[in-house]
Amino acid sequence: MNDSTIALNSPSALWAGLSRVPGVAWILGFLVIGFAFATGDFLSGPNLLNIGLQSVILLMLALPMTLIIMTEGVDISMGALLTLASVVLAWVLAHDGSLMLALAASLAIGLVFGLANGMLVAWLKMPPFVVTLGTMGMAEGLALLFTDGQSIVVANDTLAAVYGGSLLGIPQTLLIGAIAYVFTHWLLYHTRFGTYIFALGGNPDALSLAGIRTNAYLIAVYAFGGLMTGLAALILTSRMSSGHPTAAIGMEFDAIAAVVVGGTSFEHGNGWLFGTLLGVLAVGALRNGLNLLTVPSSVQVSCIGLLVIVALLIDGFKGKK
Amino acid sequence: MKSTLRIAALAAELKTIGYRLAAALAICVVLTFLSDAFLTTNNLMNVLRQASLLFLLASGLTLVILTAGLDLSVGANIGLSACIAASIMKLTGSALLGAACGVGIGLTIGLANGLLVALMRMPPFIATYGMLWVVHGITYWFMAGTTLYGFPPAFRALGSGYFLGVPIPVYLMFVFLTLGAFFSQRTTYGQEIYAIGANREAARLSGVPIVKRLILVYAVSGAMAGLASLVFLARMNSAEGDIGEAFTLPAIAAALIGGTSLFGGIGTVSGTLVGALILTLVLNGMNLLTIDASWQPLVTGVIVLLAVFFDTLTRRGEEARK
Amino acid sequence: MKLFTTALTTTLAATALFSSAAYADGEKIAVFTKNLTNPYFQMVRLGADNAAKTMNAVTQNYVPTKPDSIPEQMSQIEDVAVKKPNAIVFIPVDYKAMATGVAKLNAANIPVVNITDRSESGKFVSFIGTDDYSLGLETGRFMLKTMGGKGNVVILEGVKASLSNVDRVRGFKKALDENPGVKLIAQQPANYQRLQALQVMENLMQTFPQIDGVLAGNDAMATGVIEAMDAANRKALVIGINGSKEAIDAIKAGKMLASGDPGGFEQGCLGTMVAIRELRKLPVPKEILFPAFVIHKGNYQAFDIAADKRVCPKYEDLVKK
Repeated sequence: MNDSTIALNSPSALWAGLSRVPGVAWILGFLVIGFAFATGDFLSGPNLLNIGLQSVILLMLALPMTLIIMTEGVDISMGALLTLASVVLAWVLAHDGSLMLALAASLAIGLVFGLANGMLVAWLKMPPFVVTLGTMGMAEGLALLFTDGQSIVVANDTLAAVYGGSLLGIPQTLLIGAIAYVFTHWLLYHTRFGTYIFALGGNPDALSLAGIRTNAYLIAVYAFGGLMTGLAALILTSRMSSGHPTAAIGMEFDAIAAVVVGGTSFEHGNGWLFGTLLGVLAVGALRNGLNLLTVPSSVQVSCIGLLVIVALLIDGFKGKK
Repeated sequence: MKSTLRIAALAAELKTIGYRLAAALAICVVLTFLSDAFLTTNNLMNVLRQASLLFLLASGLTLVILTAGLDLSVGANIGLSACIAASIMKLTGSALLGAACGVGIGLTIGLANGLLVALMRMPPFIATYGMLWVVHGITYWFMAGTTLYGFPPAFRALGSGYFLGVPIPVYLMFVFLTLGAFFSQRTTYGQEIYAIGANREAARLSGVPIVKRLILVYAVSGAMAGLASLVFLARMNSAEGDIGEAFTLPAIAAALIGGTSLFGGIGTVSGTLVGALILTLVLNGMNLLTIDASWQPLVTGVIVLLAVFFDTLTRRGEEARK
Repeated sequence: MKLFTTALTTTLAATALFSSAAYADGEKIAVFTKNLTNPYFQMVRLGADNAAKTMNAVTQNYVPTKPDSIPEQMSQIEDVAVKKPNAIVFIPVDYKAMATGVAKLNAANIPVVNITDRSESGKFVSFIGTDDYSLGLETGRFMLKTMGGKGNVVILEGVKASLSNVDRVRGFKKALDENPGVKLIAQQPANYQRLQALQVMENLMQTFPQIDGVLAGNDAMATGVIEAMDAANRKALVIGINGSKEAIDAIKAGKMLASGDPGGFEQGCLGTMVAIRELRKLPVPKEILFPAFVIHKGNYQAFDIAADKRVCPKYEDLVKK
């Protein structure tokens, strides 16, 4: 994806360069330009900051989801798991636990579910969709039973400061999101683990023939997903200053959509982490812009679906050429 | 040679169905001991009727999953089909026209899914997820937060009527069970659908028209959602924009509990029926024993995992023996 | 300039007539509701639109695309803080978890009128709502009186986490306490959903051969119960809450006993009127609780008109109520 150096000295070269730009980048570009013309507020500093802040939680689910999808898997338990981790985190804080303890509990829950997902997928060769559909039901049920359907409110300044605070003038939430991105990037592109992930989706048999313990890596991918979800729970809880038993139900589908819109495919280990970032931002910019324009909600609902379909159509047409 | 193969396939099918029926029966036995109200004609009819709606939806979905696909838009589809059918019925007073429109809308959404998946080669998971949002948006816009209610009695019989003491939806369920089983097991179309799911490349090489068959299964799944929406309307006598939301995941769960594999090529429509029955029995049991329904997602999750876990084990065992 | 306007408005505040003429110039009122599907919120939106139109203001609707989504309403609040409407009429999707969102609106200095569900924290111009507890109590009392103070009763609950459900069920229970001759034989959640209510009822009817009355937390569940009863050829008194058109038709037909009216339309009207009056520096009430009103066979006529044909009552009448 290092296309920035293409010499654009003739129309055909220009076209060739443009046609290599993935669908999601087109869409994000059009959205930004369109909204900027339609409403002056869109490109204002506070609004851009809003889009960034609102996208962080989704990004933290979409990053590990990219890796999982590259192994030809999927994790639909993330939204329910995020919810469960968030209510547990809130519960610990509400019972005078420290923020560190609460975060540890949240990460532990994420890790346990992630490991369970990974082990069922890797060892028992069960379809990832089924495994995570099952664990999703369990996480959803546990969150409901644990809270008896009530919100758990946390009046804790340290918690509120996680989402609202800033470090060196940069909002902490953005920093956490950036660190999560850079870390995942490093993991995927600069470690042996990452190389194996590309191979796991492309040709797992070759990998096991080479004597590599594919199962361990597969389990690690899902465990990473669980841990990131546990960390995202901190941001979610801080954002609401409370835990709510249905807060993030269904968010995994948004994450999957962002990943696929960003150019990662369900087959052959084709993944593009930066595309996932673009996909998350496209979803965020679309929702934000439509809100600024006060487009009726029913139209907004359809627009989100169209975003997904159009992004894939663009990539589909380019694939044919 | 061919007939022995067929007999072997039938035997394997009976075995997988057999396990599941045994599980369903075990639940029944437990519930009989726990509640006097369980083993009564009324209650069993109840369970069958409640399962029928889920089955109608899940049966079409089963065909899609057999091709290694997925249709996440079925719930949204029920919502829009029901609302359009309801408003046509209110407008024209004709139940037949309304019903035709309901199935027609379902079919159209299914066709659109099929085109995206088969022609544009989009991942089914994502194409139908995008469709889900588009359809929800149209439904919300169309209904604008209102409720449509009060339909002709003749139409309502489809959902709440009885014939010879058995609810009409139960007949529908068995009609479509027979149709689905015949279509998938006894026709070339059915064989080709299994072939696509088992090994798409091999199916293509042996001359299966993959694009046409894929469009067909998504269209059937859409039309079944349209039909399910009519049964819903006839039972509830009313519709609002969000009625379908609660259906998608249970329908997928019913197919999976019934032994259909998401990898494609394995599964049966009759298995899906048993899957729908098991899910319905769980809810029925919880209500009879007045257990808090908050337990339901958890129990469903465990059952799905157990069922697929069990399938994986037996399949591995069979492969090891070969 | 700003100082000047403030000085001007303070002077004008004394003479109500003057200021209302001077400021009648299309204020933008953002209206936050919980979802696009529940008819109650549609009534609120219609009421708000109607009130805004008669006072020469405009409404902008913000509704989560996923019903009752906390993160989404949070994002919409952040977007609105950039867009800066003149005032906000606000129903929190969760009365506890939206506290940080409300704090953001307060920080942006936008006047907020809280309606329907009382938010646990935050500064509001006023709160306008119905006491869900007395709504449950009065409607419950009406049914138990009609039953003659004896018989078997079932409660169908709405969404467990919601404030309305907690209070309505508390009201039902109080009414039951007052009638020791009535026995509560089952209490199950059906999540305010029609089909779930129908199925739960079908199942409960198997265990309990004699059910004399059903207290349902909203009209949709009540109609589901009636369908189940009709299909089984059984009779019971059924009450719901919301005063929807559907319920009124059922009351007219003698299928439903009564429906408690939370006055969604009036809440939308008054909430918007109060928001506009606050902007025009007219006096506003700190809190208005509409008394619990039970619609039954004897008084339904006044409510028997299509929702979009209804017109807001006069402000003075609403406040008196």
